[in-house]
Amino acid sequence: MLSLRFSLRELRGGLRGFRLFVACLSLGVAVIAGIGTLSASIVTGLERDGRSLLGGDLEFRLTHRPATPEERDFLQRQGQVSESAQMRAMAHALRSDERALIELKAADAAYPLYGAVTLEQPADLHALLSVKDGLPGAAVDPQALIRLDAQIGDKLAIGEQQFEIRAVIAREPDRATEGLTLGPRVMIGLAALDGTKLVQPGTLAYWHYSVKLPPERSAAQVQALAQSDYAHAGWRIRDWKEGSPGVRRFLDRASLFLVLVGLTALLIGGVGVANAVHAHLDGKTPTIATLKSLGATTGLIFRIYLWQTLLLAAFGIALGLIAGAAIPNLAAGALADILPLPLVPGLYWQPLALAAAYGLLVALAFTIWPLARAADIRPAALYRDLVAPAGRWPRPVYVVTTALLFVALAALAVLGTEERRFALSFVVSAMIAFVLFRLIARGVAAAAKRIRPPRAIRLKLALASLHRPGAATAALLLSLGVSLTLLVAIALVESNLHAQVEERLPDEAPAFFFVDIQPAQMTDFRATVAATPGARDLDAVPNLRGRITSVKGVPAEQVQVGPEQRWVLQGDRGLTYARELPAGSTLLQGQWWKPDYDGPPLISIEERAAQGLNVGIGDKLTVNVLGRDIDAEVASIRRLDWSSFGINFVLVFSPGLLERAPHTFLATVKAQPAAETALFKAVTQRFPNISVVRMKDVLTELNAIVQKLGSAVRGAAAVTLIAGLIVLAGALAAEHRRRLKEGAILKALGATRRDVILAHVIEYGSVGLIGALLAFGLGWLAAWAMVTLMMGATFVFAPGVAAATALGGVAATLLLGLAGAWQALAAKPAPLLRTA
Amino acid sequence: MASSYATPPAAQNDTVVRLSDVHLTLASTAGPVNILRGIDLDVQAGERIGIVGPSGSGKSTLLAVLAGLERVSKGNVHVAGADLNDLNEDRLALWRRSRVGIVFQSFHLIPTMTAVENVALPLELAGANDAMERARAALKQVGLSHRETHYPAQLSGGEQQRVALARAVAPRPALLLADEPTGNLDGSTGHAIIDLMFGEAARLNSTLILITHDEALAALCDRVVRIEDGRVKLIEQRSHTKAAV
Repeated sequence: MLSLRFSLRELRGGLRGFRLFVACLSLGVAVIAGIGTLSASIVTGLERDGRSLLGGDLEFRLTHRPATPEERDFLQRQGQVSESAQMRAMAHALRSDERALIELKAADAAYPLYGAVTLEQPADLHALLSVKDGLPGAAVDPQALIRLDAQIGDKLAIGEQQFEIRAVIAREPDRATEGLTLGPRVMIGLAALDGTKLVQPGTLAYWHYSVKLPPERSAAQVQALAQSDYAHAGWRIRDWKEGSPGVRRFLDRASLFLVLVGLTALLIGGVGVANAVHAHLDGKTPTIATLKSLGATTGLIFRIYLWQTLLLAAFGIALGLIAGAAIPNLAAGALADILPLPLVPGLYWQPLALAAAYGLLVALAFTIWPLARAADIRPAALYRDLVAPAGRWPRPVYVVTTALLFVALAALAVLGTEERRFALSFVVSAMIAFVLFRLIARGVAAAAKRIRPPRAIRLKLALASLHRPGAATAALLLSLGVSLTLLVAIALVESNLHAQVEERLPDEAPAFFFVDIQPAQMTDFRATVAATPGARDLDAVPNLRGRITSVKGVPAEQVQVGPEQRWVLQGDRGLTYARELPAGSTLLQGQWWKPDYDGPPLISIEERAAQGLNVGIGDKLTVNVLGRDIDAEVASIRRLDWSSFGINFVLVFSPGLLERAPHTFLATVKAQPAAETALFKAVTQRFPNISVVRMKDVLTELNAIVQKLGSAVRGAAAVTLIAGLIVLAGALAAEHRRRLKEGAILKALGATRRDVILAHVIEYGSVGLIGALLAFGLGWLAAWAMVTLMMGATFVFAPGVAAATALGGVAATLLLGLAGAWQALAAKPAPLLRTA
Repeated sequence: MASSYATPPAAQNDTVVRLSDVHLTLASTAGPVNILRGIDLDVQAGERIGIVGPSGSGKSTLLAVLAGLERVSKGNVHVAGADLNDLNEDRLALWRRSRVGIVFQSFHLIPTMTAVENVALPLELAGANDAMERARAALKQVGLSHRETHYPAQLSGGEQQRVALARAVAPRPALLLADEPTGNLDGSTGHAIIDLMFGEAARLNSTLILITHDEALAALCDRVVRIEDGRVKLIEQRSHTKAAV
């Protein structure tokens, strides 16, 4: 291979110009490989621990009610069964007299079928939970001790039953998959649950039946059998392989987003790659011309330098892969503490191969063009530079190849994920941003050329620097602009999320949600609230849980729903019935039933759920409530104001049938901050069965999540800025020699340091400012689209956040640019002029 | 310096170069520049031609045209068996590999390759299996066997030009072109290079076309072509009989 041999000889000249090439590629590849490795190690962990995360090979979950004797009998015929009940409840620590919302789990002696509950002081869990000295035991999360100001040995009242706190839970095998929780875990024995008297008709409680199957029985068989023989049980069945679909979905989305951020860094790096190759080949003009004069063909020259690029790309990609594979594994220990998910460190080939593919495609997509142009250098270049070939397009075959490489990159990003719409919108946005910044860079250069030379020498110098051939303007605008746009967009989306949670929290938002109020308690409850000064606007609605089991006669499992609306069919939903159109709802289609309606069940469905399920007025939905299928006809479609923090239900039934089913009430109460404690105490003391969710606690929890996600996303996005700065540094380095010489000539001609510095400030300041302004506008647009179109929320503009981010970019450009100018000023002019 | 070299008699009646009415105009930012304005020239196989003229007269451009490095705007260029106007850039490269050797004023060695690798380059490009052996032999011929593995930066100017000469003659070209081969060298080193070049051209039966400012050097050739303002002003025979054009 002549071309390989020649390119290896050529590489002896050193890789000085290629350090940035390698850095640009390895950074992006490292991010993609790192995210992929982390995600793969979590997925492997979920698979490895699937049974213990689910609690069994199969899990059957019933809402509001335990299994009937027949259902129980069926389950026991399949394998070993463990039963547990879970609900929210209030716990009262008797010594400290503190009360707090807890997540109660009452488990039988068989729990857990897989894995083990780890206690801080090793002991047998079930022995601790059993009745001792007349009191059953409880094991609690460390947070419960803090919130209740309690310690081991203290007595805890839950409902009407007292417990003794006997252990602190360090790890619960099936906790990771439970999603957002509002209180700390308290675990008791199933036998002690009755004593609490919390389980009343309609109480919001979940019964879990985990089944450990004998080896000869498959989960799929049992699942099919349960679905056919107990079709009306209304239970949600999951097997251990798909044990944590919510976690998986979140993981998929989060890693897709982060991979796309990594891809952005790689694309920005691509600009640096192209610049590095361009600069390298510029220096090779005499070599290329000599080779051609000795008989090398254009194709051979192209192959020689393509080999070099590939060898260096392979080196950069390998560095990125090593870092990407190593960092998540090295950080596994620290991550295990932050992520409540099992991590299996290891070498995962698939994400590494994907990262390598991205790296290779970017390297080729950005280098074919300069390589092809270099290969077209004419041997006459040895004689003269009279006819500058700059700006010429390469041969069509190379243009088409470059286009195909970009298409392959986009296809890899879009086809490699299930969230194709999101990936596609990213690809399109990235394309628009790149083209836009490129065009604007050209515009800036053209404008600088058109402006009549001003008399002020500093301005003249700055303008000339903006448009001279080989000026860094385009690279600067593109690299900085794209990364700043992303950062501005992320900063704005995050500030919007915070604003949604905090600032836009309407004054009329309720202070408390009260859950599981028994119908018989409603009168007393109203009186208690009324008697608390500062508490007002009690709003109470009936509350049940149910699952949509079929849509227009098609079983829910077979209904085609887009990913955005899939949640409607997953698990159970809150239901209510109402005589009047609920406050905060707007009727879009159909008619609201008469207040005294008592006919066949009708249903009013929320707008987006209706779109997702593709149902309209007159269509039939089957909803399983308490083990009974209720067929209802869609009578109306409503729009909800989700941001009102009021009580919102996707499904509202007509009164009648549901009214007669056992149910509880859900209430909201507004309260002045000073009255909150009094109201909390009054309700929890009087009604130990009512769970109280304090809005402030929910908001704190949500804010903490937003903040954590925000930090992770910002961290990833910062990588794009680093990529941008590397490209910037590379572009400036390429100009360094010219600037040194120019500085020397200017000084020799009598320019002061001030003149040279100011010319640089004007040059970099104007490019930085243009980039920042564009990033500000485009980032704003992107954030607005994300918040309004994708999240369906109202956009809140936070100019301060966006401006600070954009101005940070201007500062970075100026600093880097001036660092180069400083060197130019520090250099003595004489030696430079002698060699000129 | 050698005072005379015999023209190889066997090669004498073949025309190696035939230029008729050759014009070359280049575009520049300041407008078109007419560099060659109707050159006619025939060169026989084995002849040694010296091209002289003031700076900017078009000498180097003429050499570039002969080497197929530059395309003419008008006229016919027939060199070493090929009509250069008919060949595209890659065909020209293939043609150069075997037919033409060039020695540049600035040597133009590839800085990342050793002396022997530089010499082997055209042979390797032509796919010769024994490229390295022939390159070593060529280096030996110019007296640089002991410098084979040295890089251009480790060689003196004269040594670099000897490497360039070895590179030009290694493929045994029919036509050897030299553009001010001694322009960057001191007097005695220059003489040594000229001795070598004339000797190699004679040994290989190659036609030699030499561009120079040095009248004494030009006088060593069979004919001296004097160029001025892009035209052939005068062709002088070695016998010093002048032929006006």
